[in-house]
Amino acid sequence: MKFEPVLLKNINNPAVLTVKGYRDAGGYAGLAQSLKLEPDAITEEVKKSGLRGRGGAGFPCGMKWSFIPKGGNKPKYLVCNADESEPGTFKDRLLMERDPHSLIEGCAICCYAVGASTCYIYIRGEYTYAADVLEAALRDAYDAGILGHNVMGSGFKLDMYVHRGAGAYICGEETGMLESLEGKRGQPRVKPPFPAVVGAFGCPTVINNVETLCNVQHIVTRGAEWFKSIGTDERNTGPKLYAVSGHVERPGTYELPMGVTLQELIDICGGMYKGRELKAFIPGGASAPMLPATMRGIKMDFDTLAKAGSMLGSAAVMILDETTCMVRAAARLAKFFAHESCGQCTPCREGTNWAAIVLGRIEKGHGLATDMDLMLRMTQNMSGTTICALSDAAVGPARSVVVNFREEVEQHIKEQRCPLPQQRFFGNGAAN
Amino acid sequence: MPTVTIDGRALEVEAGTNLVDAALRVGIEIPHYCYHPRLSIVGQCRMCLVKIDGMGKLQTACSTQVFKDGMVVHVDHPEVKAGQEGVMEFLLINHPLDCPICDQAGECGLQDYSFKHGQSFSRFSFEDKRTYPEKERIPLGPNVLLNMNRCIQCTRCIRFTREISKTSELAFFERGAATEIGVFPGQPLDNELSTCVVDICPVGALTSTRFRFAERVWYLDKKPSLCTGCDVGCNVTLEHRLGAIKRYKPRFNPDVNDYWMCDYGRGTFERYKQLPRLAAPRVRRAGELTTVSWKDALDAAFNKLRVRGGSEGQPAILGSGFLTTEEAYLWSQLARQVGSPHRSVWVDSGPPRHIPNPQGGITGRDAAPNRRGAELAGLTPGDGGFDAEDLLVGDAAAQCSVLIVTDSDFGKAAHDPKVIERLRRAKTLIVLGWADTALAQAADIALPLATHAERDGTFVNAENRLQRFARAFPATGEARPAVEALRELLARFDTKFTADSAAAVFDLMAKQIPALAGLTYSSLPATGVVLRPTPSSPTVSGTDTTALGSAS
Repeated sequence: MKFEPVLLKNINNPAVLTVKGYRDAGGYAGLAQSLKLEPDAITEEVKKSGLRGRGGAGFPCGMKWSFIPKGGNKPKYLVCNADESEPGTFKDRLLMERDPHSLIEGCAICCYAVGASTCYIYIRGEYTYAADVLEAALRDAYDAGILGHNVMGSGFKLDMYVHRGAGAYICGEETGMLESLEGKRGQPRVKPPFPAVVGAFGCPTVINNVETLCNVQHIVTRGAEWFKSIGTDERNTGPKLYAVSGHVERPGTYELPMGVTLQELIDICGGMYKGRELKAFIPGGASAPMLPATMRGIKMDFDTLAKAGSMLGSAAVMILDETTCMVRAAARLAKFFAHESCGQCTPCREGTNWAAIVLGRIEKGHGLATDMDLMLRMTQNMSGTTICALSDAAVGPARSVVVNFREEVEQHIKEQRCPLPQQRFFGNGAAN
Repeated sequence: MPTVTIDGRALEVEAGTNLVDAALRVGIEIPHYCYHPRLSIVGQCRMCLVKIDGMGKLQTACSTQVFKDGMVVHVDHPEVKAGQEGVMEFLLINHPLDCPICDQAGECGLQDYSFKHGQSFSRFSFEDKRTYPEKERIPLGPNVLLNMNRCIQCTRCIRFTREISKTSELAFFERGAATEIGVFPGQPLDNELSTCVVDICPVGALTSTRFRFAERVWYLDKKPSLCTGCDVGCNVTLEHRLGAIKRYKPRFNPDVNDYWMCDYGRGTFERYKQLPRLAAPRVRRAGELTTVSWKDALDAAFNKLRVRGGSEGQPAILGSGFLTTEEAYLWSQLARQVGSPHRSVWVDSGPPRHIPNPQGGITGRDAAPNRRGAELAGLTPGDGGFDAEDLLVGDAAAQCSVLIVTDSDFGKAAHDPKVIERLRRAKTLIVLGWADTALAQAADIALPLATHAERDGTFVNAENRLQRFARAFPATGEARPAVEALRELLARFDTKFTADSAAAVFDLMAKQIPALAGLTYSSLPATGVVLRPTPSSPTVSGTDTTALGSAS
């Protein structure tokens, strides 16, 4: 498939780490153009483009911006969610490490559009290198007059900070992130009120993913029509980064038009690892329910995957081949969610732990005949009953393994052992 | 005001009312753990799930506020029931089954709700329960013990220390199923209100070191009462077994102590155990203290009091802040009968005790509950009368024919040998009270009275709020409520005097004291009534005169 990269066009050009190099590559043209427009016109253009949030939920970006109240005495904030901690996701990291100014430009345009004069980039604590690169780029941008009291001579004031997280998956949830940003324990807030009304420090706040913001400058320079021309349909538009991992020959981050099929994606990644058969895939990070190989023709976009009972999420595609024990994979994921639950809501605190115990014992060959039924009912009680979506995310793999791979689970329970030769992909004894 | 329909019952509520409160108004209880009316809403126990028409998922009632007309809520609904059962199951899977040895059993939110909303079987059969080893008995502070295994992570205690006591000692540590409550090193849970976290803890995770294992709660008789620790006048539930007080718990009164009370107040009943009880009336005969009947003791007191004038001086009455308003009134009536201006009240000043409430809170500065009531009822010196200081520090006692001290444990001075010696200089010393103190031993006549738990009456607090309290159990032994004893004494002066209950005395008093005009004992509101004008300015008519009583 031929596709001219948009988001990743600069990643092999080290010169773009400086403002000068980035400008030479055509950068900051979007910001310069934006500053001449009315803020509302930018929001309108982003709305028209159909850009949906790349962080996981796929919420229309322009609509999110338009929820910010106009005027008012309170300051407004943009918080860029760079807490990329969904297992399997490594797309934002690439953007931040190789093309930091494109993020700064996207943030600046968004701030101008919603009237925010402060932007926090909340970056995952483990991304120390990316944080360093961003810090350096911010200093450079301040020196070049792109940030500060007078953005590119327009009179618009904008301050931007990099805030490093302390290592919690839940701080990628937007209100959990705000709590953490405010210096509190990172745990999601009850909504409503939504962050657009009461966000960081009690003020209206836009929260956008790194990849989402990196798209904005291109929408401004090339127009919404160009953006809409890429993708499946009206609701699934634009270029998309797919972070492919697992049993493919060349795992990595690939930029492709929204709605590429899974088979195409595998082919672009050099085919299945050692030519093995596809068994299952996780289309959108650990939270997305696993889908069986029979669905390899599915279009990888928001709506098609949602219809299939999974989700595009962060587009972290995990490919599992025939040698993978699905129970083990699910048990490993369940353990991750049990470890990362913040512990405030009862169903999530207790349920993620229980699911990890039950899947762990099935995997070890100690499963009970009632366990599959137990998993279904337990996950039923966990879904939709909590403050944030972590509980629903944990339900994804735990439930889908019973629904989509029932025979394999039954075999584990009946034979009291794993029917597959043990693979070391998820590490030794990781699931227990 | 918007209208909301809950289980088919429509009601109007103020905009912003949450569904838990709204449902309660039509008699529907929505189960909840983390919600507390005075704490911020976190919606995390997920027990209060309800079905709202037009919303796909179940919603938490505590975090759903009514703003617009037409919200239709279902509590009695199969989906809600399934949701509650699910949450109960999650809460119980890791909860220890140690109810038989748990102090909370009998007043446990988990027990109550699993009975009402839970299932009768467990699917958590072969898994190991999550435990917190070595965390079964952690002293969080001097008054509170934590058993982490029983905690259901509702965070009420954390929010209490952040929002009510404003001391922020407690916090969540760890996360997920390992989440635990704790304090930071070197910062124990040690604030004036710390035991309140035990009250708001829905389970047995936080227990009070004072009450722990003192009694199984179902053996306790619970009576509404007032705290006597200071002049805030916290409303308490007095819990006793066969007359032995086991604990005080705060009783909700939004105008006084709200849902809270201080740790000091909770321990005030221990005074009744620390001092020996004055069991029977005693009269000194030929230098020896002799136990006599009430009639003989009152006759002896009457004989001393009715001697008038001469070089022996006048009788004096030294009251205390532990008198009820009614008792103080009767004492001032007695002073009037014997024509004495020496009426006074002694109250120790204590450390200030602040109890928060929605209006900001009340600070008590006295170490007794009713200085204002006693002064209002007339225990203030008349013209040329001795005040309490004259008696306790000066040598005014020596100029008194009879000195009546009530009560025997009126303050720190009551235990000071120098003060006792000074008071003893009165020709006759009459001491009344529940405690057999050194002062009572030194008296010529000692009369045993009921404790505040054993009598009725009213107290006036620091904000001039008059509050009524009732007898929790009968007085032990020969002890009697002071009102009864005083009626008999006053009847010896005036045969027409018949008011022998706190209610009757109050109604009599209300006719004479302008601040109480229009009030009757039986119609005093449950949350008390604020008196105006302030009783610090003497307003009692008639008591300033030294005119003789009708029966003299």
